[in-house]
Amino acid sequence: MTKQVMLAVKELRKTIRGKEIIKGISFELHEGEVFGFLGPNGAGKTTTIRMLVGLIRPTSGTVAICGYDLHRQFTDAIRQIGCIVENPEMYPYLTGWENLEHFARMMPGIGADRIMEVAKLVGLEQRIHDRVSTYSLGMRQRLGIAQALLGKPKVLILDEPTNGLDPAGIREMRAFIRFLAETEGLSVLVSSHLLSEIQLMCDRVAIMAKGRLLTVDTVERLLKKQARVDWKAAPIDKARALLAEETEVLRTDEETVVTPYEPDKLAGWNAKLVQAGVLVSKIESRLPTLEDLFIELTGGETIE
Amino acid sequence: MRRSPVALLIVVATLSGVLWLGGLALAVQDQFFSAANPPVEQKQPRADETKRHDEEIDIVALGDSLTRGTGDESGKGYVGYMVDELRRQTDKPIRVTNLAVRGLRSDGLLRQLGQPEIQRQVAMADLIVMTIGGNDLFQGGEALRLNMKQLDEAKRRYVANLDRIFAALRRFNSEAVIFALGLYNPFSDLGDAKQTSAVVRDWNFASAEVAARYPNVVAVPTFDLFALHVNDYLYSDHFHPNEEGYKRIGGRVASLITLTEEDER
Amino acid sequence: MSKLVYNEMLKIVRKKRLWVIAAIIAVLVALFTYAQYRETEELRKRLGTTDWRTQLQQQIVDLQNRLQSPSMSEEWRKYLQIRLKQQQYYLEHNINPSAPGAPTFMRTFIENAIDLFLPLLVMVVAADLVSSEASAGTIKLLLVRPVKRWKILLSKYIALLLSVSLIMLMAAVLSYAISGVVFGYGGFRLPLLTGFVPQGEELNTENVHIIPQWKYILIELGLAAFVSVVVGTLTFMLSVLLRSTAAVMGIMLAALISGAILSNMVSSWHSAKYLFMVNLRLTDYMRGTAPPIEGMTLGFSMSVLAVWGLVGLFVAFLVFTRRDIY
Repeated sequence: MTKQVMLAVKELRKTIRGKEIIKGISFELHEGEVFGFLGPNGAGKTTTIRMLVGLIRPTSGTVAICGYDLHRQFTDAIRQIGCIVENPEMYPYLTGWENLEHFARMMPGIGADRIMEVAKLVGLEQRIHDRVSTYSLGMRQRLGIAQALLGKPKVLILDEPTNGLDPAGIREMRAFIRFLAETEGLSVLVSSHLLSEIQLMCDRVAIMAKGRLLTVDTVERLLKKQARVDWKAAPIDKARALLAEETEVLRTDEETVVTPYEPDKLAGWNAKLVQAGVLVSKIESRLPTLEDLFIELTGGETIE
Repeated sequence: MRRSPVALLIVVATLSGVLWLGGLALAVQDQFFSAANPPVEQKQPRADETKRHDEEIDIVALGDSLTRGTGDESGKGYVGYMVDELRRQTDKPIRVTNLAVRGLRSDGLLRQLGQPEIQRQVAMADLIVMTIGGNDLFQGGEALRLNMKQLDEAKRRYVANLDRIFAALRRFNSEAVIFALGLYNPFSDLGDAKQTSAVVRDWNFASAEVAARYPNVVAVPTFDLFALHVNDYLYSDHFHPNEEGYKRIGGRVASLITLTEEDER
Repeated sequence: MSKLVYNEMLKIVRKKRLWVIAAIIAVLVALFTYAQYRETEELRKRLGTTDWRTQLQQQIVDLQNRLQSPSMSEEWRKYLQIRLKQQQYYLEHNINPSAPGAPTFMRTFIENAIDLFLPLLVMVVAADLVSSEASAGTIKLLLVRPVKRWKILLSKYIALLLSVSLIMLMAAVLSYAISGVVFGYGGFRLPLLTGFVPQGEELNTENVHIIPQWKYILIELGLAAFVSVVVGTLTFMLSVLLRSTAAVMGIMLAALISGAILSNMVSSWHSAKYLFMVNLRLTDYMRGTAPPIEGMTLGFSMSVLAVWGLVGLFVAFLVFTRRDIY
């Protein structure tokens, strides 16, 4: 299956006042996929996203959108993109409709029918002629999506789209993003610092920390590659020492030792433990969470 | 796009913008490139306005700091006290035009009388009061040390100027009574009072002689008012009168006016 | 481009800035009208006449007396001397420079408003044109459109120019309409003198000529618009440089007020004439009063203002098109 590359980022770097904030990022966004951008606050997600939409000029590296270079062919490139960077701040003294109209005037060929279409798409048609200052946060978020979709973009870039939403709003947003990718065929890049969110809606994920991409892979593969076994045993120190002779110990805490999952060797390791007098109360194989991944990839750094 | 007030505003703003640009262009054209085109002077006051036969008594005050009222903390000067006195005697409205300038000398007054508006004011006057000559003589207060020759020269010029002043006043206004106030000796309590008083008396005599050549010109002496206890009537500069001094001068002029006022003649 | 300008005008209108400005002008004009009315009444009572020639003559004599005061600063003496000569000139040519009427009020209003009041009003619009978008975050949505940044800034600048034009129009119309209630609406054809050139203590009247008042007013409005555009441009530049509208206002206000103060005390500091804020009183050259610093002329002041404006505009565009938006 060869998918078209909608967004290609090559060796993107940004230095601010002599300090390198983004240290060479490369990845590709394919047609119709939801791509997660995961990292703790301060990892450089927002800076990277702003470079993707032309708000920040990279020190070096290129961004190409649908084949157009963002810097040499700015208008052609940016036309393919719809985005929300952080909170979608609109003009509170204008109505929702006027806000959309305002942005529509900046793009060729967007008329009143398209404005109505996106307003309906995000479910705002009832309140669209009210002032934005009377909108709830969720409605503003939806208006933000509406303006992003206004220009019929091929790529949607959403920075923390669920920030500040209640659980129902988050669920709704997730469903909406999947809908856009699957039904409308948009490629979506979503950044988040929340694992659960990325895990639930993304096809592929990039993990970012300290200005670097640690890994880029499909969510499935990432998780499968890293299947593991939790050993609950006592005394725990002895168990760890014994297991370490056989395989790699990924993590330990007061009760549990985590090792890679190797189905054919598991019984042998268990026998060894039992022979040595270690009491094994639980052996559980499971898929890792992104948190596990993250901690391993970053060498112990936690996400929130 | 809908027709909206904003579109209308843009049109209005653009149109008025063109107007302002036009104004700016005019500014450049007018201030940098316009040919000099000085307007014609209209020297003579208009005949129809020279004399208003109305109920008002118009008083024009001419001269130097004495007429201006320098030294009187209330700012009225002798003109003010004189008018206060006159108001007690008549119900007619009195209008005062005080054209006096501090430090004015006879040549300055003569020049001032060359201005058409001053001439018009003089022409409209029912009464004229004036003080002049003090600055010619005292020249700022230190001039009594001049020698006789210089004094004679100053007096000669002053007398000639005064003659022309009266001639001019009479030319513009042949009817109004002119009260020309004489000088007093502010230094009459100093050691050389004898000499200074002699000079002032001489000066006053010359002035009165000139005044006598013209009809309806009254030379009003003030010398006697300040002859005794001069310091009680002088301001702290020991030169100008103070409030009391001005009241005395004003009272004297007012007392003369009741006698010579038009209606009573 | 016209759509972009429409957007910017829409935002200015919807922020109700222009109405606030119109209200401020209306209130102040009413205030000044009343003050002026009281002053003419007072003058009439004091001099016992409504004859302008008598009033002007009195002013001349007052000036002459003030000139005798020994403790007067040299600049002030020069200024008064030139005023004196000018008034004398008016009197000699039988022209009343302050004949009552709405046009005369309008003229003096512009003369008094040109260096502080009008720039202040322009500032109200210009100060937050860019900075408010930056501080509210809307600039992010604005700059991710298929429009080059310089076009977005240009549309904002054009909107500013249009607003300046509207402010001038409001000032002109309101000052005429409101003062006319008291002073009457006639007097556009009153002849006025211009072209006085102060030279030291003397007044060169070689180029003096008569222009009708309507032309005089139009010229003054043109000059005031020019000043407003320059002040607006500098405010605009600060609005690009700073995120805080309050900071923009503060800096501009300080500059304008310091200009008003400096004009009265810089005559010995010659290089101060290159500051934009001492060059704002362009209408004074029309009237022929002595400039704050010797050697300043209309051409000089306009050039200084133009240079400041152009540099400000250049800086604004340079910074705006290159800046990273965080």
